[in-house]
Amino acid sequence: MAYFILRRTFGFVLTLLAVSVVVFAVMNVLPGDPALTILGLDATDDALSALREQLGLNEPLLSRYIHWVWDALHGEFGLSHSFRVPVSGLITERLPMTISLAVSGMLVTLIVALTLGISASARHRTFGDWGVMFLSQLGIAIPAFWLSILLVLLFAVKLRWLPPGGFPGWSDPVPAMRSLILPTVALALVQSAVLTRVTRSSALEVMRQEFVRTARASGLSQRRILWRHVLPNALVPIVTIVGMQFAALVTGTIVIENVFYLPGLGRLIFQSISNRDLPTVQALVMLFAAIVVTANFVVDLLYVVIDPRLKARA
Amino acid sequence: MSRRLPTNFILGAILVALVVGTAALSLVWTPHDPTLLNIPGKFDEPSSIYWLGTDQLGRDVVSQLMAGARNSMAVALIAVLIGGSIGVSLGLLASAIGGWVEDAVMRLADLGFAFPALLFAIMLAAVLGPSLSNAVLAIAFINIPIFARVARASANQIWTRDFVSAARAAGMSRLAISRDHILPNILAAVIVQATIEFAVAILAEAALSYLGLGAQPPASSWGRLLSEAQTLLYLAPQLVLYPGLCIVTAVLGFGLLGDGLRDITDPRLVRER
Amino acid sequence: MIELANLTASFDGAAALRDATLSVAPGDRLGVVGESGSGKTLFALCLMGMAPDAANLSGSIHVDGQDMSVASESDWQAIRARRVAMVFQEPMAALNPLRRVGVTVAEPLMVHEGISRQAALARALALFKEVGINEPEARLRQFPHQLSGGQRQRVLIALALACNPALLIADEPTTALDASVALRITDLLVRLAKERQMALIFISHDLATVARATNEIMVMYGGDIVERGPTTDVLETPIHPYTKGLLAALPKWLIAQRDAEGKRSRLATIPGSVPPLPELPQGCRFAGRCQNELANCATERPALQQKSVGRSAACHLLDRDAS
Repeated sequence: MAYFILRRTFGFVLTLLAVSVVVFAVMNVLPGDPALTILGLDATDDALSALREQLGLNEPLLSRYIHWVWDALHGEFGLSHSFRVPVSGLITERLPMTISLAVSGMLVTLIVALTLGISASARHRTFGDWGVMFLSQLGIAIPAFWLSILLVLLFAVKLRWLPPGGFPGWSDPVPAMRSLILPTVALALVQSAVLTRVTRSSALEVMRQEFVRTARASGLSQRRILWRHVLPNALVPIVTIVGMQFAALVTGTIVIENVFYLPGLGRLIFQSISNRDLPTVQALVMLFAAIVVTANFVVDLLYVVIDPRLKARA
Repeated sequence: MSRRLPTNFILGAILVALVVGTAALSLVWTPHDPTLLNIPGKFDEPSSIYWLGTDQLGRDVVSQLMAGARNSMAVALIAVLIGGSIGVSLGLLASAIGGWVEDAVMRLADLGFAFPALLFAIMLAAVLGPSLSNAVLAIAFINIPIFARVARASANQIWTRDFVSAARAAGMSRLAISRDHILPNILAAVIVQATIEFAVAILAEAALSYLGLGAQPPASSWGRLLSEAQTLLYLAPQLVLYPGLCIVTAVLGFGLLGDGLRDITDPRLVRER
Repeated sequence: MIELANLTASFDGAAALRDATLSVAPGDRLGVVGESGSGKTLFALCLMGMAPDAANLSGSIHVDGQDMSVASESDWQAIRARRVAMVFQEPMAALNPLRRVGVTVAEPLMVHEGISRQAALARALALFKEVGINEPEARLRQFPHQLSGGQRQRVLIALALACNPALLIADEPTTALDASVALRITDLLVRLAKERQMALIFISHDLATVARATNEIMVMYGGDIVERGPTTDVLETPIHPYTKGLLAALPKWLIAQRDAEGKRSRLATIPGSVPPLPELPQGCRFAGRCQNELANCATERPALQQKSVGRSAACHLLDRDAS
């Protein structure tokens, strides 16, 4: 068991390193002259070379990479070109927003998808089942940002129940919550489409297994069998999908933040792109990629915890 | 399974034909010039001249949608082709050589899974500036591991077949076998995956263009049309509907088609639909 | 305590079980013998109200006097495990892999009798001992994949017995087990039936096992009950041509004997094979394969008639012999 964890952790670290290399390479090998970008076209050659020296751009690529990784591990991401403050400060400032959105989105997704998926499987071949299947197929095809706009159209423009975007700050909880409702719903609806289908097919697969028949022969009610026997067994493949969903969650969060003008890391990335603020973009991309890799790693380990059969093999 | 084609295939084929047909048509004809400004006639109601009305600059909505279809199809096609070719080649290579090379190649391909298309597009946009070609590159990049996996898994199965063993015994090189025997046999799985990835690519391009990382004006794209329409939500809410519906139709169409193809080509798979 | 009258189960108009009529009393040990497709599993499922949804049922089932023919699913849930219990034939996948076996056995007790988890686990422990599981305390906490096939089957038997049912149906309980284990499980079931005054229905295609476990036997073919009677009598002096064919097909010697001309004796077989459900003859199901077939066999259905005390068979030959 310990050996298994060790191997997985090793793979995890390796992947993380590889990702950092890719990010560094793309961000630093391709672009033009960052000094030029900062100072503008009118800058003198002296000013440019001074800045290059200051930014450490004259050092060989490898040592720049190592410095970057080393600093990053200490929470140092350099200085933002546009905001003139440490990037780490920007991140800590915006992190709570992104995390709130992502976590609530994921929670709602799980609740909706698991409930709908299991219920659909119980009503196999009835209208309820076909309805859920159709809706989920539709949900996969609907872009999250379009759904967001439609929700804003309905709830903010027409009904005026909820704000169309923006965030009033954390000090007052009620308006803060209200600003998060539509974004969370938009994020969750699109994500739950895929998860619902997977839950349903996984549950149907489990229902075919022998122990379900045994449970029925023991006189247990359909509901009990469904929720206490089928669901836990159906979870095993679902957990894998949830892990893969993290990439979609990251994308979705970034997009939703931009649709609703929420002051999180997603908006920060786009502001940085407009400002050609490379250090910030680099740090944020690395952060997001690291989250995805970590999520997959955790899912791998979770797998073994959930299924006692795998624990024995591991 | 009855001999009838599955419903999702038929439905998907109809939708796909609709979208692709419109895109192809737009190469030679659109009701109006999509870039033609007509400020006095802005926000026109749908009429016999302007079938879905006009936008904030008086441009014909239908023509813009058709031009958008063209771009979406092109981006998806190129991205999936590039990503697919590289991915399939990697997968075939990994499968043919096997051993640690296979593991290494697959590990490398797996890197792509850590990067959602959006992140990659963000990086490219930050250093090279946003453009449609960067969007294509980003989408192509994330397609590589997907196709590599599919190709490798299918190829691994074909390698065990007798006719391949016979070819090896006859002295054929692994390259030749991959090209002549393995590739034709994995084509079905690859095509199914490609159709599904097409749907994903359309969605991705729309998202990127919406965020401003894809099609730049005056190039038309459904995503970009949506982002423009969002700013006019209080003035002309109907403009928000059409591009979205187009995206949904296209993505749904290719998705259903892909599912249908999968049902047709993999009869041993008893799937609960 | 269970009475069936003319129970028929059809799929798309084709009857997979025809006019099954029988009554089972506590202490009876009935064997049900037949090959695959004879309807014996369907018969067992009907007794539990677990026939497939596609099955069209007619006739009546009474459990403890209660008419279950029009019972709902929740009515059946009240009966299952408490009055009628079943052990299936595939111990491999018949237990929830994510649950400890002790909890699995305790669950019906908690659900049906409302006792606490601790009390239920204590009862499960007692059941484990009763069915002969070794190291029962340790086993309670184990997962199915940690147990052998025989142990899993014992767990399933313990599960079936948990609420003290009056009838235990064992559907091919030993088919998936190797011979020595199968023997022990068979003897276990007989012992339990005797000790608990429980009725036992033992379904199997293996005549030897059935012979060992039962005092009455019922032979099924194509959904019909073709012969019934005390086990020893039926196996020693079969009446129905199918039963005769079955017994003749048993290998009698371990090594093939040679007859007077030095030729090895061949295993007797019943010619032909069981036709698929829609193609079964409407009269006697065995028509077309029977050596003593009469003109009316394929079209007229023979009724189950008593030949002597306690023995009945469904065959037109009986009519002919009687007249």
